[in-house]
Amino acid sequence: MNGQYASLLIALPLISAFFVPLIKGLGNKAVKYYLILITAIQAGIAGWVFSEVYRTGEPIIVMAGGWRPPVGINLYIGHFAALFVLIVAIVSFFMAIFSLKAVETEPIDKYAMLFLLLMLGATGMIATGDIFNLFVFMEITSITAYALTAYNKTGEAAEASLKYMILGGIGSSFFLIGIALIYGATGTLNMAHLAILAGGIDAKVAEAGLALLIFGLAVEAELFPLNAWAPDAYQAAPHPITAMFSAFVVKAGIYAAARLLYIMQGASGWSSVLKLVVTMAALTVFVAEFAALRQKDVKRMIAYSSISQIGMIAFALALGTQAGVEAGVFHMVNHAIVKALLFLAVGYVGIALGGTRIENFAGLGKRMPLTALAVTVGSLSAIGLPMFNIFWSKLRILLAGVDAGYTWGVALILGASVVEAVYYLRLIHTIWFTGEGERIRENLAIGTIAVFLVLLIIFIGIYPNYFWTVSQKAGEDIFNVVQYVKNVPLMGVGP
Amino acid sequence: MNVPDISVYYFGAISLILIGLYAVLVKKNLLKMLVGLSIMETGVNLLLISVGYVSGKSAPILSEGIGPKGAVDPIPQALVLTAIVIGVATTAMALSAAIILYERYGTLNVEEIRRLRG
Repeated sequence: MNGQYASLLIALPLISAFFVPLIKGLGNKAVKYYLILITAIQAGIAGWVFSEVYRTGEPIIVMAGGWRPPVGINLYIGHFAALFVLIVAIVSFFMAIFSLKAVETEPIDKYAMLFLLLMLGATGMIATGDIFNLFVFMEITSITAYALTAYNKTGEAAEASLKYMILGGIGSSFFLIGIALIYGATGTLNMAHLAILAGGIDAKVAEAGLALLIFGLAVEAELFPLNAWAPDAYQAAPHPITAMFSAFVVKAGIYAAARLLYIMQGASGWSSVLKLVVTMAALTVFVAEFAALRQKDVKRMIAYSSISQIGMIAFALALGTQAGVEAGVFHMVNHAIVKALLFLAVGYVGIALGGTRIENFAGLGKRMPLTALAVTVGSLSAIGLPMFNIFWSKLRILLAGVDAGYTWGVALILGASVVEAVYYLRLIHTIWFTGEGERIRENLAIGTIAVFLVLLIIFIGIYPNYFWTVSQKAGEDIFNVVQYVKNVPLMGVGP
Repeated sequence: MNVPDISVYYFGAISLILIGLYAVLVKKNLLKMLVGLSIMETGVNLLLISVGYVSGKSAPILSEGIGPKGAVDPIPQALVLTAIVIGVATTAMALSAAIILYERYGTLNVEEIRRLRG
């Protein structure tokens, strides 16, 4: 089949979002099932793209309107994008099923539209090959994220959403200034063309432009000084949306930051920007773990844990070595699985027992054994115990960190991991060894998803090799810029 | 000390951005913060437009007497058109959240809006 069909990844969610108001006429239930159907089709297309890219080993380049880059906008679906578009689609599919039970607040049609647009934005951010197009997709993602955070219409939700909007607004303005500087210096917006021209940019402009771009993306990617919105937004958003934020919205931001970093590696002043990101990332891990320790609300606690894991990914991606990038991508995959499971299970507890305070979790092992098992496996994996998937990626990140000479960063992350173990084990203790309770019937669909994710975590924990080779290929896609430039058919300006 | 040669457009755009940033960081009233955000966006748009300005050329519309050689850079204008729309959408979104916030909390002072604490 023709690779240009991959543009359906963007087109399908967009067109289906427009059809939601028509489906609304058939009733609220119909909208929810429509959402499941569309995300299932999206997962099918993403699966086809994934198998195509990994079978041929060649990236799919979609050229908008048939104009060759750098004149037209191109989508670059290489090994990384194919993998993550698949993850985005599958997580969205699971969360659409979860929404059947989790979202009771009216109006459902707006929820469905925003849900589809969030999926579209994240897919676009991962697939695009043009920096202004990246900005547009980032804004689609973040505006839908603002709206979905405020969806519950409580005061807390509006507060969280406004915090996110103000930080996001500053971030996107800075990103745009960065684009203006880079465009002014090079005259191009295409990433591949930019990679060719990066060496010739004036050092000061390159440094300032790149720092502004990274700063703008860091708001989306929750790096240390700019992540104050995240715990609030995670706590106040509807449960399925929280899982989507953690599983892929943040990853899209961090991937975009990594892509821009490596595209610009020819520019002078590049290594000082890398050092800045490594420092921010190590601080993110440290601060978030300590903040998680004193939380009374489990959802907020896992939100902080999620931020710290993102910090770890950013640390690995900014090391500037191939081993680091590959380990970072592997951690992204693992973290998406684990956090989707954790937020699913915790959100389900919140719906079934009316709240996610730690008191609600007492005796969960007796009341909802399956959900309790899901939380336990997710927590043990997040700590990084052997036999679970995050053990492997954490190990690789730490080894890559030592190799790159950032021993202080590795020490900081290891110290923070001890703290992480403390609060997760406290949660597990509360679940299994305290409290009494009646058995509650658990939902079949949510239980199935949870069991599937648990099995996936244990499978990767025991046989990491298949997923490791996939992540290695995806990591090389980010790191090997020469190959990236060679793959994009630039018109008239190629080397 | 020499005054560096900066065009008035760049100077004005950067000043607008800084004024907006100042308002967002310092003001206590939520609406004033949103006004600051809006000013900042305007500044960014102005900066983007001034990047594409070529001295003495006219608007990039093909018509009698103006060829492709006689026009300023059209790309930043497309970028700004997009950025303006995005800015308006964000502002509308923020204002509607501010309305809900005022209904629930009865205040717009950001120091009193602190129900979400860890």
